[in-house]
This record gives sequence, C-alpha cells and structure tokens, in this order.
Amino acid sequence: MKKYLLFILIFACRPSLYAQNIFISKGQIEFEKRVHFIANVNDIFKKDGDDDNGESDFINTIKKQLPEWKTTYFNLYFDDKKTLYEPGREVTEAGPKGPDWFNDPAQDNVVFCNLDTKQSVAQKSVYDSKFLLADSLRKARWKITNDSRDIAGFNCRKATTIINDSIFVVAFYTDQILTTGGPESFNGLPGMILGLAIPRLHTTWFATKVETTEPTVSTLTPPAKGKKATNADLSTKLQSVFKDAWNKKYAQHAQWIIEL
Amino acid sequence: MNKNFTLLFFCLFFFFIASAQKASLKGVIEDTTAKEKLVNTTIALLRAKDSTLYKFTRSKPGGLFQIDNLDSGKYVLMITYNRYADYYDTFSIAQNEIKNLGSVMMTLEANLLADVTVRSKIAAMRMKGDTLEYAADSFHVRQGATVEDLLKVLPGIQVDKNGNITAQGEKVQKVLVDGEEFFGDDPTVATQNLQADALKSVQVFDKKSDQAEFTGIDDGEKTKTINLKLKDDKKKGYFGKIDAGGGTDNRWNNSAMINNFKGKKKISAYGIMSSTGKTGLGWDERNSYGSGNNLEYDDDFGGFYSNDNDEFSGGTYYGEGVPKSWAAGLNFGNKFNDDKQNFNGSYRFNKISTTGTGNTFSQSILPDSLFYNKESSTSFNSRYRHSLSSVYEQQFDSSFSLKFTGNGYTGHQNTFSNYLSQALDEDGALVNQSKRTISSIGDNSSLNLNLLLKKKFKKQGRTISWNISDIYNASNTDGFLYSQNSFYAKGIMILQDTTDQEKKNDSKVNIFNTKLVYTEPIVKNLYAEINYAFRLSTNKSENLSYDKALDNKYSILNDTFSTHYSFDVTTNTGGAALKYNGKKITFGAGTDIASTNFNQNDLFKDTVLKRNYLNFFPKANFIYKFTPQSRISINYNGRTSQPSIEQISPVADNTNPLIITKGNPSLKQEFRHNINFNVNKYKMLSQSGFYVYGNLAITSNAIVTNQFTDDKGITTYTYVNTDGNYNMYSGLSFFKKFTKANFNLNYGLRYSGSRYSNFVNGQKNQTDNYNPTFELGFNKGKEKKYDISYWGNIGYNISKSSINTSLSTKYWTQDHNLDFTVYFLKKFEFNNNMEANLRQKTVVFNTNNNVLLWNAYIGRKFLKKDKALLKFSVHDLLDQNKGYDRQLNTNTITERNYNTINRYFMLSFVWNFSKTAAGMPAPAQ
Repeated sequence: MKKYLLFILIFACRPSLYAQNIFISKGQIEFEKRVHFIANVNDIFKKDGDDDNGESDFINTIKKQLPEWKTTYFNLYFDDKKTLYEPGREVTEAGPKGPDWFNDPAQDNVVFCNLDTKQSVAQKSVYDSKFLLADSLRKARWKITNDSRDIAGFNCRKATTIINDSIFVVAFYTDQILTTGGPESFNGLPGMILGLAIPRLHTTWFATKVETTEPTVSTLTPPAKGKKATNADLSTKLQSVFKDAWNKKYAQHAQWIIEL
Repeated sequence: MNKNFTLLFFCLFFFFIASAQKASLKGVIEDTTAKEKLVNTTIALLRAKDSTLYKFTRSKPGGLFQIDNLDSGKYVLMITYNRYADYYDTFSIAQNEIKNLGSVMMTLEANLLADVTVRSKIAAMRMKGDTLEYAADSFHVRQGATVEDLLKVLPGIQVDKNGNITAQGEKVQKVLVDGEEFFGDDPTVATQNLQADALKSVQVFDKKSDQAEFTGIDDGEKTKTINLKLKDDKKKGYFGKIDAGGGTDNRWNNSAMINNFKGKKKISAYGIMSSTGKTGLGWDERNSYGSGNNLEYDDDFGGFYSNDNDEFSGGTYYGEGVPKSWAAGLNFGNKFNDDKQNFNGSYRFNKISTTGTGNTFSQSILPDSLFYNKESSTSFNSRYRHSLSSVYEQQFDSSFSLKFTGNGYTGHQNTFSNYLSQALDEDGALVNQSKRTISSIGDNSSLNLNLLLKKKFKKQGRTISWNISDIYNASNTDGFLYSQNSFYAKGIMILQDTTDQEKKNDSKVNIFNTKLVYTEPIVKNLYAEINYAFRLSTNKSENLSYDKALDNKYSILNDTFSTHYSFDVTTNTGGAALKYNGKKITFGAGTDIASTNFNQNDLFKDTVLKRNYLNFFPKANFIYKFTPQSRISINYNGRTSQPSIEQISPVADNTNPLIITKGNPSLKQEFRHNINFNVNKYKMLSQSGFYVYGNLAITSNAIVTNQFTDDKGITTYTYVNTDGNYNMYSGLSFFKKFTKANFNLNYGLRYSGSRYSNFVNGQKNQTDNYNPTFELGFNKGKEKKYDISYWGNIGYNISKSSINTSLSTKYWTQDHNLDFTVYFLKKFEFNNNMEANLRQKTVVFNTNNNVLLWNAYIGRKFLKKDKALLKFSVHDLLDQNKGYDRQLNTNTITERNYNTINRYFMLSFVWNFSKTAAGMPAPAQ
C-alpha cells in the first residue's frame, strides 16, 4: 500500500516543479561527479614540514600530464525505499589523461540501499579486486542549516556532517523527493540528496537532471559480483596494506575514497 | 512453552521501554490562509544543542503526523514545505510524554529585502582595466576573520546569510584563489575557509567564457568572478644544509647549501669539496638546491625518465682512481603571470682531479695461437668546467606552449698517463714490450639551444609540435706521445722503434636539427601521426702529428698520422604512424624513412668522399592493460644504421702503436631488429606481483671488426659486414610482502646471451656468451627499532670462441649486500653495510679478486625534529676495497684492477636548518 500520493510527471522542468507542490517517490537522477584532480595531487604530494616550498620535480612534471578536473556521470534509480547508484553515461574529455596508475580506486561504485531495512550492498573496485560490501547504512549525524540553493530545479536545504572522524561533508537535499536517498552511500536526510560536496577530497556530486520514469524491478537489484566483505573487513584490510605506504597522505586519501 | 514465555517476556519488556521511557509528538499541518491540510510536509526534529538531525517524518493525508520513540530532551522542530516559510519551534519533551501540537500553521514564503550597509573606503580600491581590486589590508577585520567576513566590509560587495556573494549588483558565481578554482563551484568553500589575513587583494571582474578566451571572440557570456590573491610572504622562507666532515688518510667531505624562497621566486646556492667521491648535488638535493632533475614524462609507457646527461652532474664518482672534487653553483628560478611563465637559470663550477693506477690482463684467442697482454698504468687527470643553463617555459593558453632551453659550458682538461705493457705468447715468452707516455692539455666548450612549440587544436587529438635545436661542440688539445716498443722472437729482441710526437687536435661540430610532428584523429581513439625532420651536421676535424726535428722541436709534420677533414652529414627524415589508444588496448605502428648524405672532404689530400644512404626505422608496439596495475606490452623497433665516418675512412690511428685502427670504404649499412616484451602484474591488496621481461636484438649486415695480429703482436683493426649477431636478455621476478611480519621478499632469474662474430687473421670467429643468474632479496623493519635488507645474486658465465673451441671460459660470480641499521636510546642509530663481490678464479685469471667492503657508522641526532646529526663513520673497515672489471669480448677476455678509495675513518656533522613564515590557512575543516 502506498502511503504517499504519486504524481507522474511527463515533463520535468524547473518552473513547473517549483511552482507546483509535487512529490516524487520514483525516478532517476543523473549526478555529475567532479573531482579537482590537481588539487588532490597537490594535497597528496605536498611535502611535510618546512624543508621545501612544496614542489618536487616529479610532481611538477606529472602535473602537466594530468587533467585539472575529472568529470564522470552516475545514475541514481529510486523507488520508494530502494535506491541504486551506478556509473552512468561515459564522456571522453579533451586534454591529458595522465598515467593509469595515477587514477584513484573505487571510481565505478555500484551502491544499492534499502532504506526500510537500513541495509546496503556496495560493489567497489579496489585496485585489482572487486568487493561486494553488504552492511548497514551509514549512521551520519547531520547538522541541518538554514542555507538553501537550487539544484536541477529543486530547492535544496544544506546539511553538513563529518565522516571518518575528520572529513567534512556538505549535502543539499530536497524534500520534494520522498525517497531519503543520495549519491554513493549518503542518505538519511529528510529527502533526496541532490548535491554533495567533500572539500577535503575536492569532489562534488550535483544532480544535472531528475526524471520521473519509474525504474524497472530488475534495475533496482543489488549488485551480486565481487568478494563478499563488510565495511569493517575492508577497512582493516586497507589499514594493513597502507601501514607502510611510502606516502602516508596517499594512503589516507585512498582509504577515504574507498570508504566513501 | 518455554519459548513462548521468553517471547512474551521480551514483548512486555519492549512495551515497558516504549511506554515507560519514550515520548511521542503529533500534530496536524495546515495552510494559514487556505486552511488546507498539507500532505507530505517534512517534520524534522533537531537536537537543540547542535542542530543535528534526530528524527523526521512526513505528514499523512489529512496533514497528520506522529513521531514516536523519542528520548526525553530539548529539540528544535523544523517543518518545511515547498514555497512556504520554514516553521521553527523549540520544545522540551519529558519521558513518557505524548505531546500534541494541534494545528501547525504554515505561511507562504514572502521575500524580504535584506538591509545592505555600504561602507566606503575608496582609497583602498582601484580599477585595473575591467578588474576592480581591493587591497585586503586596508579593510579591518577581527583577528582570525574569514574571507567572508572581509568581503562583508568591502564596498560594493554584499554577502547574504547563506554565504551568497553579490558584487556590483550581480551574483558572484566563481571564487578563485590565485587564479585557480579553489574548490568546486561552491564559492563559500573558499570564502568561509580561508583566513582574511592571508589575502593581498580581492579582485572582482567578469570572466569571459573559456570558449571566448580560447578563440578571442567575445560571445557575451560572462561570469561575475572574485579572485583572492594570497600574500607572497605567506610563502617566504629559507632552508639549507651544512655537512662538515674530516677524516684520516686525507679524506674530507664538506658541503653547504641554501635555498631562499619568496613566493614563487627561488634562489639557491651550494658549495661542495670532497675527497670521498661526492662530485656534485645528489638526486634529491638537485630538486631543492639545483635546477631540478629534468624529468620527462613518456605518454606511451606511462612513466618518467630523466634526461640529464652532464658528466659532472651525477653527484657521485664511479670512475677509476682516487678523486678530489670541488663544486659550486648558483640557481635562480621564478614563475610569473600565474605560473604561465616559468624561468630557471643556473651557473655551476666543477673541478675534479683523479690519480689512478691500474693493471690490465687479457687473453686474445687467435685461430692457431694465443696471446696474453699485461699492462700497468698510472694516470693523473684534472679538469674543470664553468656551465650556464637556463629553461624558459610559457603557457600562452591551455592549448599553446613554448619551451626554450639553453645550456653551455667552457672547460679545461689536463691528462697525463704512463703505460707499461707486455705481450706474451702461449708459452709465456715475451713477444713485445711497450712503454708509453701520453699527455695532453686542452680546452673544450659547448652550446646547446632548443626551442619547442606545441599547439593543441580544438578537435581532440589534433596537435602540432615543432622543435628546433642547435648543438655546438668544440675542443682543442695539445699533447705529446712518447712510446718505445721492443719486439722479440724466442726471447731475443729483434726490433725496437720509438715514436716521439706532438699531437695537436682541433675539432668543431655543429648539429642543426628541426622536427615537425602533426597528429590527426581519424576515428574515436585512432590517430595518425606524420612527421618530418631535417638535420645538418657540420664537422671540422684537424688531427696533426709532428715528429721531433734535430733541434729537439716538434716541427716535422707526419703525413701518415695527420688528418684534416671537414665533413657534412645531411639527413632528411619523413615518417608516418598510426596510434590506437583504447581503454584496455594501445597499439601503434609506422615507419620513418631517412635519406642521409655524407660528404667528407680531406683537406690534406684534397679528395672528396661522398656516400648516400637510405635508412628505415620501422616500429610497432602493443599494450594490453588487464588492470591499472597489470599489463603486457610488446615492442618492435627496426633501424638501419650507416657506418660511422671512422669506419669508412682509411685513417690510421696510432695512439697505441701496437693497436692500429683503419676504416673500410666499402662498408654497407647494418640493420638492427629489436623486440622487447614485458608482463607486469601487481596485486595492491596482497602486495604481491611479478614481472617478466625479454629483449632480443638481431643485427643483419652487422659492422664488425676484422683484426689481424702479426707475429710481433701488433694488431690492426678494420671493419667488415657480417650476419648472425644477436644479443638477448630476459628475466622474471616475483615479489611479495608478508604484512604481519612486515617482511618483503623478492626472487627471480635472469638470463642473457649473445653472439658476436668478427674476423681474426682472416678467419671468421663466433663468440658466444651465456649468463644465467639467480637473484634474491628481502627486507624487514620495525619503525624506530631496526631496518634490515639484503640483496644478492649468483651467476654463471660461459664464453666460447669458435676459432679455438678448446678454450672456453667458465666461472661463477656472486654479489651480496647486507644493510643493517639499529635505532636505540631514541637519538642514536648504528648502521652496517657489507658488500661482497666474489668471482671464481679461472685458468687465465688466477689471482684472488674477491672484495668484501664493509662500511659502518654510528650517529646521534640533535635539536628539534632531529635536524642535526653527528656521525662517526668508517669506510672499508677491512681495507680490502679494489676496483675490478672482468669483460668477455669477442675473442678477448680482459680483467682490470685499479686503485680506489680504501679505508678511512671520518667524523662529520650534518645540520639542516630552515625558516618558513607560518600562517597559511588551515585546510578546510
């Protein structure tokens, strides 16, 4: 039984959405994920202490070969209490690509969340392995603010939280979408997260469009391939791998990214 | 029965908790004016103390809502509904309380105009073209204020409660820091996280679209932008290093280095004097105190290489003998115009003097006989050089760049060598004996200019690059050769000759080179590349030998051993290639064709030697990437190469009268095929992996030596073409980390083999070499406790010559290296490094050449952050270090010993100092 009224929209455009009080509980959102890649590289290779003004040959050379920004697209399908987040359309960007081994891990995550049972299943490519992480939803302590901004035609309220004890996260959610989901494994706000920013990782996710096409049942199924583990298992594993990493900042950065 | 009871108990228990301790909140949401019940309103409870979300729900049909299971406490009730004003209320709820709010009235949003206070401080503002600039320090804000606080007080800029910025009445969409996007498209990240006192100025302007900047055609699209310029003194300071060491046996090693930086400007200087083998800046010092390591990135294999080829810049002396060296340098670097222009210039002085003694013993295999050669030498070599180098780079826009490099040096060299050699026959009887003294004094200079222009077009993959370079080298030497050769037959001297000559050599080489490369995308991921290059090499070489006249002056020109040439080589190269660059697969294939003209003019004999060659350079490569860390790659390169001018011109070189080299004018080009393959696999999570590599080079029509050794032991070398030469090496290696034990292990095998054909006294000789080697290494460490590492290898060497199959050389070699450091009493460290190089004796080389080199030091760290180190060290504790080299070449096997740095003790002090202005903003949150 449906608790909420459901309006099926044929056209979703900005003025009409804002003007009418329409509540959406099924549909599909495209997120544009942007990473300020050079800023991350600067963070990772910035030398400690005061022995240098922060630039080495290696990093100066490689910076010229790296894209300043990396843009990828993800789709979030949602139907009432279920959401599935997965890589979307592929775009080839002009400009340098940089060496493969310089790319971050876990850039093609598939995340399924059941908001009712509070369980999630995430598939993440971590270097040479593919993991299937079944776990309960992230328990974030969201701080609600009075700020708001417009994203993809929806009025969104800003909320902030801190994850992994130190990473500041900004989310913008709209209460016009009833499903309380969001990109990656972020959810639990009183509506859909349409914008997400993690300044420490120089990364943002912003919805570019919201469509109300109902996702099929087969779309909203959890990923099934990969080595089964819990988030805690993976975290322990990564800690042992990164324990003696030559670049502690890289290890920290990679671990944060994998554990998003 | 029992089970049901338990269930009942739990039901009651939960009921008890729910009803006895948990409170509820309920109500109805209504519209103030229309009195309509609002469905789907968001009702959220925030914890009053920190506004964090506690619970939320939506209103049901009829506007009803209810939140159960509430802990007692103080909350903020936030009710939101699109287009309605937010409703806030603070309330407390007690245990077990059921709070009914009744009707909550929601009001439609009304827009309020914010009060704007404009304070004017005109003097602190100015217009620069289209840019309005505020001097940050002219506007006072409290200590620790953020940029947002500063913006609020700037006239013409308003910041609303949400952090949105309005400048000159328009919404600011971008905030840049030093011209770069600080983070994403949320301006508040920069303004709320940066500290105001780090700013030099705030600039407000309309940023044209990227398109408009690229094309220069204004499309009218503009974005109101604020640029925050940081103060330069926020990045000002200096750092340096002083290393002073004195030891026994006249050993010293002193250096001082300093780098002073202010913003992007960097001035560094260093001075080094050492008798322990340090000749210049080391790899890591070069980045901080020199002009860098000239790293280049290669897109095809995704890795880096350093293209530094200055003989003085290695930092460590690896040559023969005992060196004394002096070095000094001054380096200046700066970046302008938001890093779009980059200049680096440096001056260096190097001086190195070496004294050496050495012994060489070799066996030469001839078709029907054997020769042994013994030679001992002493030498003194001193050289110095003044060098200047500069790099200038400019990025005109994101698609067009320029790079200019200019390097030059002028130097002086002084060498003196003394040789004593003997040739013995199979039975050990003396065949010839020679005493030689060579000395020379000379100057050399070089200039190397290079300009590279790169342009990328709007269509992805369409690029053009143009490189133009000129290299000039000159050297001038004046020296003397004195040699006395005695020839013996059956132990009786039958002939003696003496050469006493002055040699004046002068050479000038200029190479002009230009290359144009154009790439064009054909279909997705497939590109075509065409290139054209022109190269002109102009050489002038004068080698004059003078014999001593009766008046003891070297005034008689010796025609046989004097040459004077000018020769030009002109090369035109054109080439085409296809490249496919997919996600998993990369491949490319193509060829270059070069037409080369030789034009040699013998200015003595007034003859001209001309040669035209057409050379091919086919190439192909294939890469398959399994994962970013695993790949297989196969490479093929082919090249024709023409003989060098020495190989075709019949010039005799008598620097050593017992070894004479002559060219062969009828030589053909050789063709060399090179195939290379690599497989790499690395598992990041288990930190294990392996790699396999192989390389095979086959040369057809190879240019090889044709040697003729007469019964006096004089060997004349000339050159001929032959087939069948190859050279291969391959290997595989495994590595694994045992995480728990913190133990790294690697092991592998490598194998190399080669066949080299040459002609000995008219007979073809094939020399085959084989060398399998096993390698093993491990390391283990515990932070602040100890580090231990070992690597070693055991190899077997076989060499056979077809002209004398009964004589084959076979021996084992072993290398072991053990490094062990213990850290104790917090500040102390004790290091031992042992290196053993063992070589099995052979029938010919029957002296003991094993070396065990043991170095050790004990050090104590001082000062804050362990910035100073006092160190007592010993080099070659066992005093048995020696220079050694054994080589298997064609039909000659050679062993060489030479003197090197032996045992010494040294006390040294290293101090790292630095000062940096603090105050850079802390990273976000």
